[in-house]
Amino acid sequence: MASHSTKVKQDIARWLEAGLIDGMTADALARDVEANERRSLSFGSILAMMAALLLGAAILIFVAANWEAIPRLARVGALFAIILGGYVGGAFVKARGYSAIGEALWIVAAAAFGGSIALIGQMYHFSGDESAAMLTWCAGTALAALALRSGPLTVAAVGIADAWLAMKLVGGFRLFSSGEIPHLFVVIAAGLFAVSYWTRSYAARHLLVLSLIFYVVGLAVDDNLLVVAVLLALVSAAAFAAAVIAPAATDAIVKLGGRLPLHGLIGFLTGMALVQFQLADTGGFAIAAAVTLAGIAAAIVLAGRQSRGLRWLAYLGFAFELCLIYAVTMETMLGTAGFFLLAALVLGVLAFAIIRIERRMSHPVDGEAAS
Amino acid sequence: MKNGRALIFSALALALVQIGFLSWMIAGRAAVLRDGQEVLLKVEPVDPRDLLRGDYIYLSYDISRIPVKLIADIPAGKQTNDEGQITVRLKKGADGYWRAASAWLAQPTSPAGADEVDIVGHISAGWTLSGDTTIAPDYGIERFYLPEGEGLAIERDMRVRPFGIRAAVSKDGVPQIKALMDGDQMLFEEPLY
Repeated sequence: MASHSTKVKQDIARWLEAGLIDGMTADALARDVEANERRSLSFGSILAMMAALLLGAAILIFVAANWEAIPRLARVGALFAIILGGYVGGAFVKARGYSAIGEALWIVAAAAFGGSIALIGQMYHFSGDESAAMLTWCAGTALAALALRSGPLTVAAVGIADAWLAMKLVGGFRLFSSGEIPHLFVVIAAGLFAVSYWTRSYAARHLLVLSLIFYVVGLAVDDNLLVVAVLLALVSAAAFAAAVIAPAATDAIVKLGGRLPLHGLIGFLTGMALVQFQLADTGGFAIAAAVTLAGIAAAIVLAGRQSRGLRWLAYLGFAFELCLIYAVTMETMLGTAGFFLLAALVLGVLAFAIIRIERRMSHPVDGEAAS
Repeated sequence: MKNGRALIFSALALALVQIGFLSWMIAGRAAVLRDGQEVLLKVEPVDPRDLLRGDYIYLSYDISRIPVKLIADIPAGKQTNDEGQITVRLKKGADGYWRAASAWLAQPTSPAGADEVDIVGHISAGWTLSGDTTIAPDYGIERFYLPEGEGLAIERDMRVRPFGIRAAVSKDGVPQIKALMDGDQMLFEEPLY
C-alpha cells in the first residue's frame, strides 16, 4: 500500500512539473493520498499482526504440548502475566501513538486468554466441551474489543465465533455427536455486530454477514431446505434492493462501506443455488434457473456501474449457473447436444455482453480523467 | 494523554476481569477435587483407532453404557430420548469399583444412600428407550491429558490390563478426574492446582 501512495506522489510531482496541475491542486492531491494511506493497512501493521498471530499460535501449541518441565501452576501464572502485560502494555504503547503494535499486543493477550482456558481444561481433564471453551474465549475477546474499542479484537472474536460455527456444523471434534444446528450463532452474530459499531470495524461486519450466509446454508442443508433457501434468496434480494434504492440510508444503518449490494448478491446466488439443487428433478428448476439469471442481470444493471467486484461476482454466478443448468438437463445425447449449442450461443452472447458492459462502465471514468 | 490514561485503566480492568474469571474456573474445579465424594471407575478399552488423539487418551467407562432398564422414569410411550442430562446413581461394588445402580432422566426420586453417589451425565438425542438396549452418556471425564509422547505406552497397556480412574464427584453430580490407576498402582495423580 505504501508503495502505491509513493508512486501516486511521484506522479503528482511529475504532473506539477509538466504544468498539468497547479501547486494548490498538487497539495490537495498529496494530502488526499496521505489521508487515504493512513486508513488502509500499512506494511508494518500487517507484519505486527502476523507476528501477534504467530505468537498467539505458539502460546496455544505450547499449552497443548503439556510440557512437564514447567509446573502447571507456573504455566498458568505465565499466561496470566501475558494477559496482564499484553492488555496493559498494548494500551500503553497505543497511547504513545504506536497503534499497530498496541493492537498486536492485545491480540497476543486474547490468545493467552484462550490458551488459559485450554490449559485449565487440560489440568482438570475436561472432555467434550470445546464448544463451551470456544464460546467463553469468544466472549472474553468480545469483552476486550468493547473495553479497548479495538477493531482487530472484534475481528478476532468473529473469527473464533466462526470457528465454533464450523466446528458445530461439521460435527465437531467430538466422537459420536451428530451435527446439530447451532442457532445460538445468530445471537452471537447480532451481539458482535453491535460490538463492531462501537469498535468501528468494517472488516468484522463483512465477515459477520458472510458467516450468517454460511450459517443459513448449514440450516438449509440440515432440514427444510426449500423454505430456508427461498428465504435466504428473498432476504438477500431485499437487502440488495434497499441498498440500491437508498444507498446512503442503508449504509448509515449497516455501515458496510457501500458493499451491501455485494453481500446481497452473494446471499441471493447462494440461496438460489440451494433452491435449484432441491428442485433439480422437478419442473420448478426451469423457473428457479430463470429467476437466478434474471437476478444476475438485474444486479449488473442496477449496481454494476458502482462496483467492479459486484460485476465479476455476477459473471462468476452466471458461469456457475450455466454449469448447473448443464448438469441438470444432461439427460439425453440429443438434449446435451442441444444444450451445448445453446450454451455456445449464450457464452458468445455473454462474452459480448461482458465486453460491452465493461467498456460502458469504465468509459465515464476515462472521460472524467481526460477532462 | 487523558485518553491514554483511560485506555490503560480499562486495559488493566479488562485483564483483571479475565484473570479473575480464569481463577474462578480453577477454584471451582479444585473445590470438586478437594471436597467431592471419591469413586473408582473401571475404564474399558475402546476402539484403538479412537483411543489416542493428540495428547490425551480417550477413556470409556463401564458407566459409559447405561442399560435402559436401569432408568426409572422413562415417560410412558416414549420411544427415543431428547437431548439432556441423565443422573446415574453409582454404588460401590465388592471389588472397589463403583457401578451404575439406577438412573433418572429427570431428578432422582430418592436421596443417595451410604456407599452411593449421584453423577450427572449428558446424553444426545435419539437413543432407543425400550428393550435390552443401552444408552451412552458423557460425563465430561472421557479424556486424560498426558505429557506429549506418553500416550502410546498407556494405550498399549490399557488393552491388556484393567485400568481405572479415581474421580471426585461434587454434591451436584459434577465429576472430576483425580488419578489414573493401572490396577492398584497409581500412574498419575492430579494436584489440586
